[in-house]
Amino acid sequence: MNDSAASVALAAHLAVLSSISFGGFPTVLPDVHDFVSANGWLTDRQFADYFAVSQVAPGPNMILMMSFIGLKIGGIAGAVASAFATFGPPCTIYYFAYRLWDRFRDMPWQRLVRRGLAPLTVGLVVAGGFVMARAASSGWASGLVTAAAVGLMLGTRLNPLWILAAGGALGGLGLI
Amino acid sequence: MLRRREIGSHDEQVTLGALFTSFLKVTLCGFGGGLIWARSVVVEQRRWMDELEFTETLTLCQLMPGPNIVGITVCVGAKLRGAVGAVAAVAGFILVPWTVGLAFGALVLDHAELAAVQKILGGLSAAAAGLLIGTGLRLLIPHRTRWTALLVAAFAFVAMAFTRLPLPLVLLGLAPLSIALTGLVRAKAR
Repeated sequence: MNDSAASVALAAHLAVLSSISFGGFPTVLPDVHDFVSANGWLTDRQFADYFAVSQVAPGPNMILMMSFIGLKIGGIAGAVASAFATFGPPCTIYYFAYRLWDRFRDMPWQRLVRRGLAPLTVGLVVAGGFVMARAASSGWASGLVTAAAVGLMLGTRLNPLWILAAGGALGGLGLI
Repeated sequence: MLRRREIGSHDEQVTLGALFTSFLKVTLCGFGGGLIWARSVVVEQRRWMDELEFTETLTLCQLMPGPNIVGITVCVGAKLRGAVGAVAAVAGFILVPWTVGLAFGALVLDHAELAAVQKILGGLSAAAAGLLIGTGLRLLIPHRTRWTALLVAAFAFVAMAFTRLPLPLVLLGLAPLSIALTGLVRAKAR
């Protein structure tokens, strides 16, 4: 596959995933991981690096992460294509859904669908984190950092940025 | 309905530039929680929506695929200025941080082979993965007493973490099952 064919294949795949990313883009991370590694485009290490860098940037992290993948595969054009594939389909869906909102606002099935979909979303988000942890893992110390981050996220109201900074600092000091 | 029209009565005065800059502000402030800032700007500072309308809009966005915060951006833009408003708001939200992030990130990733950068990135990604897991578990808290919810969450986790099944297949299999289970349990409780 040449660069532009690969970029198109990636963008097409991302467009499908973003259209079904109920609960946000992290829910589709495991699928993205399988797709890029099956095509031999990225190593686990690179996938984890892209995730790490995108998480410390402000704004739309997942759009940025997908753009890094696009950039690696097809240069700037690949990055732009990946970005549009990641936010374009959901934005279109949001726009038309908003127009229809008044029509299906009070229907009883809406609550049922919401309650039904919520736990599914949760399972997918946790799986996304698990797959990332597995890709990033370099031994028991990095597993410990991941576990500590989970604990701090659940048990405290600490700004997540501090937790990320602590992880980066521990890594930089060579403790992981 | 009346309340809505009152709030929307000054629609014409909202410029595309104001939409762009407001959501630029949301995105730049939004380190680790953009939703807080979206509410603050849209409801308190600009008064483009009231509290109830904002919450309703968020609910709509949670029902739809994609990042909820981008959904809010689209809805506010669409409410005030239609399709062009939505484009202006989304551009404000994405354009600047994306450009800066891509340039800066590419620079860092270019040097990812350096041992020092590699170590920092390793620590960062381990922590970031933990934050994602923690966020997921937090979302589960309101549902912790429903055994069907726990079961479905566990199924979804195992399916995506340990099998190589594609997501569309997992969603198609589990979504109807989960909605049906929720409906059955509720019908029984009645």
